[in-house]
Amino acid sequence: MKRIGVFVCHCGINIASTVDVQKVAEEVGKMPGVVFATDYIYMCSDPGQALVREKIREENLDAVIVAACSPNLHESTFRTAAGEAGLNPWQLEIANIREQCSWVHSDREKATEKAIRIVKAMVEKTRLNESLDPISVPITRKALVIGGGIAGIQAALDIADAGYEVILVEKEPSIGGHMAQLSETFPTLDCSQCILTPKMVAVGKHGNIELMTYSTVEEISGYVGNFTVKIRRKAAYVDWSICTGCGQCTEVCPAKVPSSFDRNFSTHGAVYVPFPQAVPNKPVIDREHCIHFKTGKCGLCEKTCEIGAIRFDQEDQVFRREVGAVVVAAGYDTLPLSELKEYGAGRVPDVIDGLAFERLLSASGPTNGEIRRPSDGKVPKEVVFVQCAGSRDPERHKPYCSKICCMYTTKHALLYRHRVHDGQPYIFYIDIRTGGKGYEEFYHRAEEDEGIIYLRGKVAKIFRDGAETVVWGTDTLTGKNVEIRADLVVLATAVIPRKSTARLVRKLHIQAGPNGFLAEAHPKLRPVESINSGFYLAGAAQGPKDIPESVAQAGGAACKVISLFSRNRLEQDPAVAWVDEDLCGGCRICISVCPYDARKFDEEKGIAVVNEALCEGCGSCVAACACGATQQKNLTDVQIKNMITASLGGK
Amino acid sequence: MVKVAYYPGCALKDRSSHLDASARDAAERLGFQLDELESWTCCGAVPPVSRERVMNLVASSRILKNTRDSGRDLLVTICDFCYNTLKRTNHRIRKDEITRRRINTYLAQEKPERDYIEETASPWTDYAGEVRVMHLMEYLRDVTGYDEMRKRLSRPLEGLKLAPYYGCVMLRPENEIGLDDPEDPSIIEGFIEALGARVVNYPYRTECCGSYLSVSDPDVSTRLSYKILSSAAGKGADAVILSCPLCFHNLDSRQEAISRVFPGFKPIPVFYFTQLLSLAMGGDRDRQGFSRHHVDVSGVVDSIFAEKERQ
Amino acid sequence: MSKTSLPPPENLPMRLTRDTVSEGFKKRVAELSGQNPDSCYQCGNCSSGCPLACEMNILPSRMMRLVQLGQEETVLESGTIWICASCFQCTVRCPRGIDIQSVMDALRQIALDLGTDHFGPDQVTPEQAATVPQPGLVSLYRKLST
Repeated sequence: MKRIGVFVCHCGINIASTVDVQKVAEEVGKMPGVVFATDYIYMCSDPGQALVREKIREENLDAVIVAACSPNLHESTFRTAAGEAGLNPWQLEIANIREQCSWVHSDREKATEKAIRIVKAMVEKTRLNESLDPISVPITRKALVIGGGIAGIQAALDIADAGYEVILVEKEPSIGGHMAQLSETFPTLDCSQCILTPKMVAVGKHGNIELMTYSTVEEISGYVGNFTVKIRRKAAYVDWSICTGCGQCTEVCPAKVPSSFDRNFSTHGAVYVPFPQAVPNKPVIDREHCIHFKTGKCGLCEKTCEIGAIRFDQEDQVFRREVGAVVVAAGYDTLPLSELKEYGAGRVPDVIDGLAFERLLSASGPTNGEIRRPSDGKVPKEVVFVQCAGSRDPERHKPYCSKICCMYTTKHALLYRHRVHDGQPYIFYIDIRTGGKGYEEFYHRAEEDEGIIYLRGKVAKIFRDGAETVVWGTDTLTGKNVEIRADLVVLATAVIPRKSTARLVRKLHIQAGPNGFLAEAHPKLRPVESINSGFYLAGAAQGPKDIPESVAQAGGAACKVISLFSRNRLEQDPAVAWVDEDLCGGCRICISVCPYDARKFDEEKGIAVVNEALCEGCGSCVAACACGATQQKNLTDVQIKNMITASLGGK
Repeated sequence: MVKVAYYPGCALKDRSSHLDASARDAAERLGFQLDELESWTCCGAVPPVSRERVMNLVASSRILKNTRDSGRDLLVTICDFCYNTLKRTNHRIRKDEITRRRINTYLAQEKPERDYIEETASPWTDYAGEVRVMHLMEYLRDVTGYDEMRKRLSRPLEGLKLAPYYGCVMLRPENEIGLDDPEDPSIIEGFIEALGARVVNYPYRTECCGSYLSVSDPDVSTRLSYKILSSAAGKGADAVILSCPLCFHNLDSRQEAISRVFPGFKPIPVFYFTQLLSLAMGGDRDRQGFSRHHVDVSGVVDSIFAEKERQ
Repeated sequence: MSKTSLPPPENLPMRLTRDTVSEGFKKRVAELSGQNPDSCYQCGNCSSGCPLACEMNILPSRMMRLVQLGQEETVLESGTIWICASCFQCTVRCPRGIDIQSVMDALRQIALDLGTDHFGPDQVTPEQAATVPQPGLVSLYRKLST
């Protein structure tokens, strides 16, 4: 029989105030095979770990239970300590008597009894634990970055600068993302394009970066260090390998297509470059609007192009690439105005969203930076900005704070004031949130020196009345309602995940939170990692974020990738699925339930095998296996039964 | 004996003249003479709201300029209102060039006739805030010194528990007055201890007594005074000590009304700081004008003399 | 017979325009007081510490807010400006450095310029005239009458 040691942690008073830790040690100490049991105030402290090491040696222990907090927190701490004392790390288990016991109960007697059973169950499990060795796999030192906004650009540059190869995939014809649409950036008001384009150019020229725009990730398989991706490049109907980017085709195209980059304030041809600073600066043909594709006629672009780069017969191409890590920087979108029925549902021409106002402010925008309202081109003199348009509204829209609106709305009002000196900006807000370096000062300047009127209240209704747009709001600070007949209304619409993010989540087998933003492995301690190893998160796809935060997170994600690539081989947890080849009937149900593609059918043997490198040890196949052929290492059916018995107070 | 330029102000010259007498008496016992300006006017009591109403600063500026022209660089006052007005006027003249120039434009028109007739007359010099304005309390702290005061005590106020009352204008606005910390002042406490008495701490020492509202809205002033006095009494004070004639009037004379509105209120004597200073320095009890108080002070005054006899 | 009437004007929404929120009344208050009403960020410190708050129908912070929005009538008709005793508590505590007492002075001045005294010398009783120290009477006249 194994010689087992049990260590019960007080966690200060976190456990000890609800659970009688001495009694737990005493009761568990009576179990057969438990040769040592004690309690200690902080097991995770240096003396606590030293105690474990010392007793492993002194008592010649074959297995150890640490009854403490969740294994998420300190399992690896104690397994490392056990390893140092010569014990196989998989002979050490954590019994969680904090999150699952002391923190959720108040009756000391009952909580103590529950803690005893939790520890006893772990003792039963550990009796049958095998000694395991970590699974070791090689690494492909090449990264895939999905998304070419500022976050993706930054991550790609950082990884490439460290000497590793990067594939940057962007679904639009050019990289740049939303930042390329912005006029000036808060709180310093530097020109967005001026600080972004050097980075875009650097990506285009970097020897370590393979830039694939107009492309999407179609499929991914493999595991950390060893992924295979399929990337689909949409047909541009232009042969970029010979196109010089002269732009003549875009000038002759007779089609008029609303420019999504300019938020429909301008048009471009069916063959177009989304904006002058695009990288790569090569046109694409929008098949849906192209007269040639619709009627078989026209072909002006083809006739104009002297080098013959227009290729109406071009087809989508699919590329296969091997990568070791993936940075997901899929970006964000904003809530469509049509969702905001109370604010005119997008049907009032002079009610626009923040990105549209950015285009009006932009010197390279459709109005060359002059503020002119959409309905009649008039310079608006009374401009109302409405914050939380769809944010912080769990009943009807989005429950979360979109985080960037307080600052960009203040910037909008300030820039508007600079452009239209006799114009009056008003900002309706619920709270002003300026938690960032220099942000509060920026807001104060707007409020104190720039004549911007802040009104504390949520706007209830916006409607058209003649040439004016009427805003019904309130100012809770005076306790009075407000009516403004505005020339222009700008809605700070909620930041939402892109529609494509949901598809991406399914393709990559990563996780998203309830609002569709990508889920991080730990909200505080692992904010740039996905729960699935090998996937890293950057930018607003993970949650609303401004530029500095996106850049910081991208740098963090890049750093994680670089750190991964700096290792020779990867070690993985060996507690994975295992197949008893004699029992397996080859029904393949395990293959259908595995979310990680870790189960494969071995034609030769006629059974389903496990790819240990891919297996995350989730247990789906174990549960699904009808004949009990698949077992989880160190969590076999027998172990589980014994644990249940102990949990119910048996034995 | 050192002569110190002294601006009594209207109240101390007229209906609070007993306080003026006690101040002069105390000063002489401390070795200096309060030397009243030759001619002076009302200071104006409140500075105006803006630069454009600079007229309201002329009276106080004139007082300051005359002080300088008489060859003195220090002006002492014992009324908080006068102190506030003179000091803030001086501060504005020092800090704001436009105010300084506009005021001197007014003052220049008051040049005496002889300056126009005699070519030899001294040239006009703008007043630029050269005079230092001091409250007598400040003079005692910074020039005389508390140690010197203790040495000269002939009748220490031992055993007496005094609640300091600052009110408003002696401390605020601090950026223009700068006498003491407006949230945690200590100058009256230091003064009390220098006289040998004990300080009573209470939370209302810097709260407003209602100021001029005692005329326009006496009930409001009654309520405010009640809060201050009952707080001081509740902390065991034998008396309240202060340095503003208007606060003195409100806190002393409102006690009859307070007693009517708040049954159970026990009147508490109120002293001007100069009265206690004079007594402690050996002054005569009959020269302090105690008969003009609304609240009887004889119990406290008796105890001061009894204490002295016991020693 | 059914009675129809309009709701009281103070209950109607504030109609904000460029003029109300930046010109006219607000500018005049700013000029007279030398203070920028827009500096106020509505923390409420002035109201919290005002010794006369419980005598006021509109608290000082809300007065500042009404000035920011140019609500002249509401401000001038409120009793607050006549209850404020100019004690400077608000002024020394304002985290934005606004001399709120001066704003109140400016409001009194504007109200007085419009017409009658709030409390004229004729309203002072002979007893008050004979006993109240001069600083009280002088400041009273200066603040509550023209």
